[in-house]
Amino acid sequence: MAPNYRRGFCAIQTSIKISRLPQAVAFRSRLSLYFLWERKWFFVAMGVGALLLQAPLPPGLTYDGQVVLTMSVVAIILFITEPIPLPTVALLIVAGQVLLMGLDSSAVAQSLMSDSVLFIGGSLMLAVAVVKQKLDKRIAWLIVRVTGTRTSRICFGISLVSGLLASFIGEHTVAAMMLPVGITLVSLTSDDPKKVRNLAAAVMFSIAYGASIAGIGSPSGGARNAIMIGYWKEFFFDPDKPETKQYLVDYLKWMAYAYPIFLIQLPFMSMLILFTFRPEYRDISRAVVKLRAQVEKEGPMNVRDWVAIVLFFLVLIGWVTVSDQIGMGTVAILGAAAFLIAGLVRWEEINTGVNWGVVLIYAAAISLGVEMKETGAARWVAESFLAFLAPFGADEGFGLLAAVSVLTTAVTNIMSNGAAVAVLGPIVLKVAVVAQENPIVIGFITAISSSFAYLTVIGTPACTIVYASGYMKTTDFLKVGWRMVVMSTVIMLAVAVIYWPFLQN
Amino acid sequence: MEVSDGERRFRILVCIDGSDESYRGLKYAAKLGGGVDADIVLLYVRPVDQGLRTGGLQVQVARANMLEWGLELPGIKYLKKGRDMLVELGEMGEDWREESTHTAVEGVALGDNKIEYINKDGKKIVLKLKVANDIASGILDQWEIGQYDIIILGASGKWRGMAKALWDPAVAEKIAVHAPCSVIVTRDLEIGNGHLICVDGSEKSLDMVRKDATLASRCQCPISLISVSLDVEGEEQAADNVARAKEMLENLGIEVAETLIRVGSPVEEIIEAGPDFSLIVVSDTSKTGLRRFFMGSVAFKVMENAHNSVMIVR
Repeated sequence: MAPNYRRGFCAIQTSIKISRLPQAVAFRSRLSLYFLWERKWFFVAMGVGALLLQAPLPPGLTYDGQVVLTMSVVAIILFITEPIPLPTVALLIVAGQVLLMGLDSSAVAQSLMSDSVLFIGGSLMLAVAVVKQKLDKRIAWLIVRVTGTRTSRICFGISLVSGLLASFIGEHTVAAMMLPVGITLVSLTSDDPKKVRNLAAAVMFSIAYGASIAGIGSPSGGARNAIMIGYWKEFFFDPDKPETKQYLVDYLKWMAYAYPIFLIQLPFMSMLILFTFRPEYRDISRAVVKLRAQVEKEGPMNVRDWVAIVLFFLVLIGWVTVSDQIGMGTVAILGAAAFLIAGLVRWEEINTGVNWGVVLIYAAAISLGVEMKETGAARWVAESFLAFLAPFGADEGFGLLAAVSVLTTAVTNIMSNGAAVAVLGPIVLKVAVVAQENPIVIGFITAISSSFAYLTVIGTPACTIVYASGYMKTTDFLKVGWRMVVMSTVIMLAVAVIYWPFLQN
Repeated sequence: MEVSDGERRFRILVCIDGSDESYRGLKYAAKLGGGVDADIVLLYVRPVDQGLRTGGLQVQVARANMLEWGLELPGIKYLKKGRDMLVELGEMGEDWREESTHTAVEGVALGDNKIEYINKDGKKIVLKLKVANDIASGILDQWEIGQYDIIILGASGKWRGMAKALWDPAVAEKIAVHAPCSVIVTRDLEIGNGHLICVDGSEKSLDMVRKDATLASRCQCPISLISVSLDVEGEEQAADNVARAKEMLENLGIEVAETLIRVGSPVEEIIEAGPDFSLIVVSDTSKTGLRRFFMGSVAFKVMENAHNSVMIVR
C-alpha cells in the first residue's frame, strides 16, 4: 500500500510541477531584471564615482583629496538609498582606501579602531545588558506613582525618565526598555486601537522624542557624541602644545554645554506632543491599576536587580570621573565585562542583540573622515561651503551657526545621526578653522543638530524602535516633527549665543 | 500528507498590513474564494530590521522585551484580526484542525511563523508572518513557495516600507509588475458590485475574459464587458469584440449583465466607467518582462490611475 501511495503522490507532484513550469521559468527570467532594478542605485553610485574620478582636478584640491571626496559621495548615496547591505559600504570604504589611494593595508586597518569605536561597541553591549535586566516594570511603576493617573502628567513623566536615562546610556536602550511600558499603558486603556489612536501616539512619541532629545546630554548618550569628541582630539589636539588642551572635551565639559539644552527642550516637547495629538482619555487610571497588578506579580527587588543597578551606576561614575584618563571606550567595555562576569547577561544575548555591522560602519566612516582631513579634502569642501554661504552673510558668527545647524538637520533626517556626524564632522570643523570660529562651538552645533531627526522614522534609533510597535504612522512623524525641529533649533541657537560664551571664559 | 484529488485547489494570497483596506481585500477574497472553495492565505511581511537605523541595537531586543511583557507583535495581531473576521463571516469554523510551524530565518530570531487551519475537506486558511528584505520581495517569495492564483493587496500608502517610499515605487506597483499570477490592487473596495472586464479583441484577452468570468460567476458577481475604440471608425470593431466575448461566455452558461462600448482614450474611458463596479479587470497584454518593466501597457496605466480596485489577470 505504502509504495503505491507514494508513487501516486509523486505523480501528482510532478504533474503540478510541469503545469507550473512555464510560469516559474518566466518568473525566473523576470527575477534577474528585478534583481538589477533593486540595485539600480548601486550602479548609479558607481557611475557617479567613476565620473567624479575622471573629472578635472578643481583648483586647491589634491588628487588624493579628490579620491576621498569621491568615496564620500558614493558612500553617502549608498547610505541613503541602501541598494546593498550597509556594512558592505564599510567594506568598500576600507578596500577603496587601499586600492584607490595606495595606502598601506595595515595603516588603514589601524585607522579603523579608536576610542570612539571602542565606545560604540562597548556601549551597545551595555545597552543589551541593561535592557535584559527587566527593570522596566519597576521604572514604569515609579513613574506613575509620582505622576498620578492624568494622561498629560504621565506623558511628561515618561519623557523625563526616558530622557534622564537616555542621556547616559543611549536612546536606543531606553526606547527598547520603555516600548512595552507605553504599549501596555495604551492597550490596557482600550483594546480597540481606533479609540486610542491619539493616546497611543502621545505616549509613544513621549518615549521616542524624550529619548532622542536626551541623547545629546552627555558623551555616552550616543555614538555621534563619541565621534565628535574623537574628531576634536584628532583634528586639534597636539600633545606638544599645552594650549590645544582645550580641545580635549571631557565628560563634564560636554554635559556643561549640552545638558541644559535637553532640560530646556523637555517641557516644550511634552506640550507640543500633547497639543498635536490631544489624547482621547484625560485620565488613564484603569490602565495604571492593571499595571500595578502586573508589577506586584514581580515581587520585591532581589539581589540580582540591586547588583544590576549598582553596576550601572559604577559605569556612570566611571564615565564621569576617569573617562578622560582611560577613555570612554575602556569604561564601556569594562562595564560590559562586569555585567558578563556577574552573570546578569549571557554572551549569546549580547551577540545577537548587537548589530556588529554598525560598529564596522562607524569605524570605516571615522577612518574616511580622518582621511578627509589628512588629504586636505575637508578644508577644500569647507572653503567652497563658506564661499557659497558668503553672499547670504552666513559665513561667520550667528549666521554660520544657523547654516551648519540647518545642513546637519537636513542630512540627519535622511541617514542615521551617527553617520551624519561622522561624514559632516570633518567638514564643519574645517569650516570653523577657515572662518576663524571656535571649532568646539561648531562641533557642538553639529552633534546636537544631528538629533533633530524628528521628521522620519529612520532619523533616530529611538523613533525606529518605537515605530516597530505598530502604533504610529509615518505621517505622524511629519505632523509633530516639524514643530519639534523649529523648537529645538531655536532653543539650541539661543543657548549657543546666550549661555555658551560664559563657558569659554 | 494528504492529497485528496489530482486537481490543485485554487489559492488566494491576501496581504494584510493592518489597514482597513487590507481587511476589505480579505472579505473580498472570502467572497471570491467561496465559489471555488479556495485556500486563503493571509500574509504579513515584516521588513528585516536594519541595525544601523536603531544605532546598532537590534530591534529584536525590543521585540523580545515586548514578548516578555506578554504583548503581541503587530504582525501577529493583524493576522489574528483577519482570522477572527473570517470566522465571523462563517468562512471558517471552530472544528478546523490547527497546525503551526516555525521556520528560522538566518539572522532573525523570530523567523517566519505559520498557522494553518484545515477543515475536513482539506481546505486551508493560513496565517503567515514572514520576514523579508522588503515587503514586495517578501510577497513575491511567498508566491514562489505557494504558487497562488490571485494575490490581493491594498494600494494604501502604508504599504510603502519604512520611509523608503521616497526612493521606491509603491509595493502594490511592484507586485503588479512582477507577480506571475493575477493581482488585485484594492482601493476603497466595495464588495457588492460586479466585475467590469475590459476586452480588446485579442486571443489573450478572450482567454482572460473566460478565466475571470468563470471565477466571478461562481461567487455570483455580475459581469459587464467594456471595449474602447480610439476613434469612431473603430467603434464597430469594438462592438464586435464585446459581442464575441459575450457569445463565448453565454456558450459557457455565464450571464453578462451589461455591455459598454466607448470611444476615446482607453485608459480614461475605463477609469471613468470603473467606479460603478467592484473591480476593473484588465489583462496583462505585454508579453515580455522588459515591456512590463517600463510599464507601457494600458493595463498598468489603468492600475495606476483608477479610482477603484483593479485586477490584472495573467
